[in-house]
Amino acid sequence: MSSINTPAVVMDNGTGFTKLGFAGNDSPSWVFPTAIATRNSNSSSTTNTSSILNKSSDLSSINSPYTSSDTSFLNRNKISNNSIHGNREMSDLDFYIGDLAIDASKGPSYSLNYPIKHGQIENWDQMERFWENSIFKYLKCQPEDHYFLLTEPPLNPPENRENTAEIMFESFNCAGLYIAVQAVLALAASWTSSKVIDRSLTGTVIDSGDGVTHVIPVAEGYVIGSAIKNIPIAGRDITSFIQTLLRERGELDSSLKTAEEIKQKFCYVCPDIVKEFRKFDNDSEMFAKYIVETVSHRKVEIDIGYERFLAPEIFFNPEIASSDFLTPLPIIVDQVIQASPIDVRKNLYKNIVLSGGSTMFKDFGRRLQRDLKTIVNERVEASERLSGSKSSGVQVQVISHKRQRNAVWFGGSLMAQTSEFRSYCHTKRDYDEYGPNIVRNFSLFSVP
Amino acid sequence: MPAYHSTFLAEEDTNARIIGNMAILPLKTTFKGPALPCMESYDIIDEIIDLFRANTFFKNFEIKGASDRTLIYGILFLSQCLNSINYNTNKNEAIKILTNLSLDDFAIPGDIGFPLNSLYLPPNNRNDSVFLRQYLSQFRQELSSRLIGRLYQSNNNVPSKFWLAFGRKKFMNKAL
Repeated sequence: MSSINTPAVVMDNGTGFTKLGFAGNDSPSWVFPTAIATRNSNSSSTTNTSSILNKSSDLSSINSPYTSSDTSFLNRNKISNNSIHGNREMSDLDFYIGDLAIDASKGPSYSLNYPIKHGQIENWDQMERFWENSIFKYLKCQPEDHYFLLTEPPLNPPENRENTAEIMFESFNCAGLYIAVQAVLALAASWTSSKVIDRSLTGTVIDSGDGVTHVIPVAEGYVIGSAIKNIPIAGRDITSFIQTLLRERGELDSSLKTAEEIKQKFCYVCPDIVKEFRKFDNDSEMFAKYIVETVSHRKVEIDIGYERFLAPEIFFNPEIASSDFLTPLPIIVDQVIQASPIDVRKNLYKNIVLSGGSTMFKDFGRRLQRDLKTIVNERVEASERLSGSKSSGVQVQVISHKRQRNAVWFGGSLMAQTSEFRSYCHTKRDYDEYGPNIVRNFSLFSVP
Repeated sequence: MPAYHSTFLAEEDTNARIIGNMAILPLKTTFKGPALPCMESYDIIDEIIDLFRANTFFKNFEIKGASDRTLIYGILFLSQCLNSINYNTNKNEAIKILTNLSLDDFAIPGDIGFPLNSLYLPPNNRNDSVFLRQYLSQFRQELSSRLIGRLYQSNNNVPSKFWLAFGRKKFMNKAL
């Protein structure tokens, strides 16, 4: 095996975006949507039952002279075969991933699929093809020469790990594999911050991407599964909130893309909304202008006002945007830590780590720390009053760092570049000897 | 952090008269009416204009005292004002529209048409009722005239679209 000096491949497949790159780099080489566009006619011939669908498969055989009636017969035979390696044929090579997939799906002949839902892989066949393209078209590497570090969400069932290993070892023949929990990698990524002194794997991870926000307590590298909480507020909700504000004001352009850009370029977290409104009244510099180029190359100017601070505010005051979820993020974090074992709570409060694009707003960490401190101090005071003894206090610290956006990937890159990394991986030889259930366990490793 | 409460809650025992369960707070105003003149530089009207934009986003509001009811009434009236003008209304038209709106026949707590009767107690007697109506009329005029100052701060012909956008929101899901 010629894998002595090749860097490990780090792949972080999230619900919204996939981050790809080699260990040792400080940012992923590719970030693109976890989307795959597959040929339409393919899907209709595999789900043959009604006469309408039969007709459409007839049409497709007319359109493409290569699909004779023989292959459609074969197709039918293969339907019963539900294994992840089933349904292989030439047209299976006809697909796109990432941004290309989104472009392709705008045409009539491809349909867009997201193989990962809620962090977990749902469609293994599509995921295999997604990986295939990631490795050969983007990374352009020989999998047998590289070790791979993949990520998984907390509470991923071990069967999913086995499926992943099966694809990685049997389809791609990769040299070695390590599957890490995303939250643990996010903790490792925070070691780059100067505030972190002891490099422990204990802390609370707030991971906010596009779809959901997770609050995950981790003690010495192990996720405390019973205490995890999810918040249905994340990047997408902020964007759509900005969109409603733009529409209510009657701005000339209120497309999703504009809202998204306003979110990324102008939004910040304020200490107090009433004071912030006053600041806008006194200083017209706070209002911004944004120029959008429309499809017809016309330039449209949009005024940006209070959404600058109101949009990220929905983490701290969810009531302003939604009517069914009302608990602010600091309270959720507090509940999560209170639900964790008592001997780790102090360390969980001391090391609250942010990860994901929606935590990138300016002063997000500061506001969270302040609000959480207020909650904790009130509790400490109440218990001091009741017990009459002096508490040693609880330190609350929220850590923001430069690698927050791709924290999970970066943590993976940090870990996979160490010399010990390979000894923690399961190799192709181990897999051949023991079978897929070998990947049910990975030993944790700490970076010195 | 829930919606913002009135800062006058603390002083209402000493400083204000209470009719039904709504506080009659002093106003800085030149409009005629029964309100006591306000000695401070910050009165309930300033507070309503300050808190209006933040509070309109909230559907839930825990009423902590009589001043909060005055605040709610003010916020809902402000909404009504914003809804009665539009992007094309210039300052003079707006003054006309809002003065009419403030002086129009309006319902006070206890009246059949008043939408917040579940939260407000009716005045105890006829005298109180007459007093409350006069006070609210004065309150509405002062509020709408100060609102016009805000709306046309930068331009006399066009109201601020940032303010008008808030007319769509419904504080506590209620409207006057």
